[in-house]
Amino acid sequence: MSHVAAPLEVIATRFSSLAGKDAPDEQTLIALAAVDPAAATAWLLERDPADLPARPRLARFLSAVAESISRSPGAVDAPELLQIVRRFGHLLSPQHATEFAGAARTAPVDPALEEALHAALERAPEHPALLRAAAELSVASGQQGRAHELLTRLGRADSGLATMQYVYGARQRLLRTSSTPVRVAIVSSFTIDTLVPYVDLECRALNLEPHIYVAPFNSWEREMLGEGSGLQRFEPHIVFLAAAADDLIPRLASPDASLTTAGEAAVDRLLAAAERFTSWSSALLVVHGFQSVFRDTLGPASSRIGPSRSEVMNALNTRLAEGLRSLPRAYFLDLADLVARRRQGAADNPKLRHMASMRLSEHVLRDLGTAHAQYIAPLMGRTRKCVVLDLDNTLWGGIVGEDGPHGIRLGDTSPGSEFREFQQFLISLLRKGILLAVNSKNNEADALEVIRSHSAMLLREESFSAMRINWDSKPSNMLSLAAELNIGLDSFVFVDDNEKERALMRQAHPQVLTPEMPKDPARYRETLEMLPELQVLTITDEDRSRTQQYVERRQREQLRLTAQTPEGYLASLEIAAAIETASPRTLPRVHQLFQRTNQFNLTGIRYEPGVLAARSTDNAWRIYTAQVSDRFGDHGLVATAVVRAERDEWKIENFVMSCRVIGYGIEDALLARVAGDARDADARWLAGEIVTLPKNAPARDFFARNAFTPDAGDHERRNWRRDLGENGLMIPRWISVRADNGA
Amino acid sequence: MAPEAVVARVLGLSRQAVTDGTSNTTESAWDSLNHVTLVLELESAYGVSLSAEDALAMTDVASIKRVLRDYGVEWDGA
Repeated sequence: MSHVAAPLEVIATRFSSLAGKDAPDEQTLIALAAVDPAAATAWLLERDPADLPARPRLARFLSAVAESISRSPGAVDAPELLQIVRRFGHLLSPQHATEFAGAARTAPVDPALEEALHAALERAPEHPALLRAAAELSVASGQQGRAHELLTRLGRADSGLATMQYVYGARQRLLRTSSTPVRVAIVSSFTIDTLVPYVDLECRALNLEPHIYVAPFNSWEREMLGEGSGLQRFEPHIVFLAAAADDLIPRLASPDASLTTAGEAAVDRLLAAAERFTSWSSALLVVHGFQSVFRDTLGPASSRIGPSRSEVMNALNTRLAEGLRSLPRAYFLDLADLVARRRQGAADNPKLRHMASMRLSEHVLRDLGTAHAQYIAPLMGRTRKCVVLDLDNTLWGGIVGEDGPHGIRLGDTSPGSEFREFQQFLISLLRKGILLAVNSKNNEADALEVIRSHSAMLLREESFSAMRINWDSKPSNMLSLAAELNIGLDSFVFVDDNEKERALMRQAHPQVLTPEMPKDPARYRETLEMLPELQVLTITDEDRSRTQQYVERRQREQLRLTAQTPEGYLASLEIAAAIETASPRTLPRVHQLFQRTNQFNLTGIRYEPGVLAARSTDNAWRIYTAQVSDRFGDHGLVATAVVRAERDEWKIENFVMSCRVIGYGIEDALLARVAGDARDADARWLAGEIVTLPKNAPARDFFARNAFTPDAGDHERRNWRRDLGENGLMIPRWISVRADNGA
Repeated sequence: MAPEAVVARVLGLSRQAVTDGTSNTTESAWDSLNHVTLVLELESAYGVSLSAEDALAMTDVASIKRVLRDYGVEWDGA
């Protein structure tokens, strides 16, 4: 205890004053806390509250006690510590609340301890030690939901290996959540178990329940073959193949000029494994690109003698990426790019490489976890449909109501260029089919003047599918945006520089994804760029024109308001539908439609791309699609049905239709076509099922209004069927149908 | 911070549960993965660089302390 300045005897004589009425001086108290935390605690608890030191001094004394306890655990008994926490918890700093929580752990957990920790967390929401202590308590007391939430926050606050492993380990002691399960496999040539906690965290943050399979050490080639391998038995949704270039091409470590031949052989091994895999699995396959920890041994001379090592590696990566592109459902993950762009720390830890066959440092693991989530999120339907933006200090610098339309910061120089860069990114979202909308507290005229006529604005009125520029609360604007765009709150991302607005939104609408934004607008772009919820796996024609479709919708709405009758309105729209069976060209959109549709969705069944591909060529199945246009424009492929064609009965396994065309009668036209095909194939019955899902009210009367007969069933799910010998189903009069590739 | 606290944090044990005798044979959480993590955490807590030999020698808390003392590391209560 070298830091205790006063000799013990001096302190001892001073302690005599502790018994008296006068408050002892601060130095004495702190010394007491250091040498005898038990005595200090006892003094605190016995003292009449009126005679305690004033608040700042009391807080410093508590800090000294906490530090003393952390040095000599067990010096103070848990009941006394709990009393301290009950009475003085609100005065504890985050670090010291953590110390007390560690020392005063009891079974069952004392609520006062939890309250003190939560009060401290309010003040320091991202304090790792505090989060860990609170998480430990929640795990111990079996509060499942709270524990998961705290563990996710802890993993976000401290992404070091030790914390991430704790977070992952603690989750294994909790019950499974009711979230959608996702089965993720990681197949590797090196020790990659350390990646698991990072992938697990990302899945949890996406509200998925992850099941993660790590193939045995360096068994990737055998696993990918199938033939009853662990990977095959696991039945993954998605597989990450991480074979390190340094394992596949050992000569990367030595001064060897002839890398190309060995490298190409390695690429071909990977491609052969990938091809084999796609032949037996319908899962998504993501293959890590090549990246070596070894520099070119020739240094500066390498680029003169050439090709240099980086040139060779680039060429190998191109070969790998091109090969994967020709396979179904196979993706190339550019590991070299990911390592170069890592957010912090060294990419390689030589010690770990030698000691534990680990090829990726913890700094790379965090970013790799995020990169993996960028495939998992869109695969599992977690892509958000619309980014809702604040204006002042989000899309431009300054406040238009105060600075005027010409006083805001937006342009080629800083301050202002940061916002332009952010807008450039937002435009890229439009190309991916993600909508933009505005939710801003402003005078509409001021804001519109900037949007319409500021020379540096990149986003214009036609970039936004809907705008709310008013003085209403942002959560209530969000509800009206959801109603106008006809999408759920869980389809939104809300971007606002204002911390209070973000907090209000999170509280009012937790379904809206409200990311924490950095204070510095120069960092806005990277904050959103990495979000797994803004990634897509393919870009369909529908994605490219989605914003245009919402503009056309506004025009239709105007026509509807002037029409005499609903049917007159529908007839005036000049609706045309092309009903076909799915082809390789339309399958990506069919998959996307099943993933995205929540309202007109009969059973909620979603399909993996491989399943759809297999069924599209299987005689026992029919996948129907409807592409729709009207006088205002093209809706694209908006309805699809998967039908099992048996001899007597055709059964609709699932049928979805985009909410954009609800009310047009497209579903009836498509059903009439299915019924016609079934009858032509001499089937007697057309059947289907309706499952009650949270949002599928528009679909629930589908069979009833088409004169199907229900079986007993129940409210949750019911089977329906219709005798095809009865009068045929009719295509609505206002739709003209083209059948292009009929069955 | 005492080495016991680092061990407790990495293995997910309470601080009081960790003694000199806590070892990779008594604790199931002390597996090869956590051993690597432990080495990394000790390095960052005390600003030392541990070799593979050191890592092999660290089979319990007492031997961790021995290795750290060899590097001249001190901590409260040492």
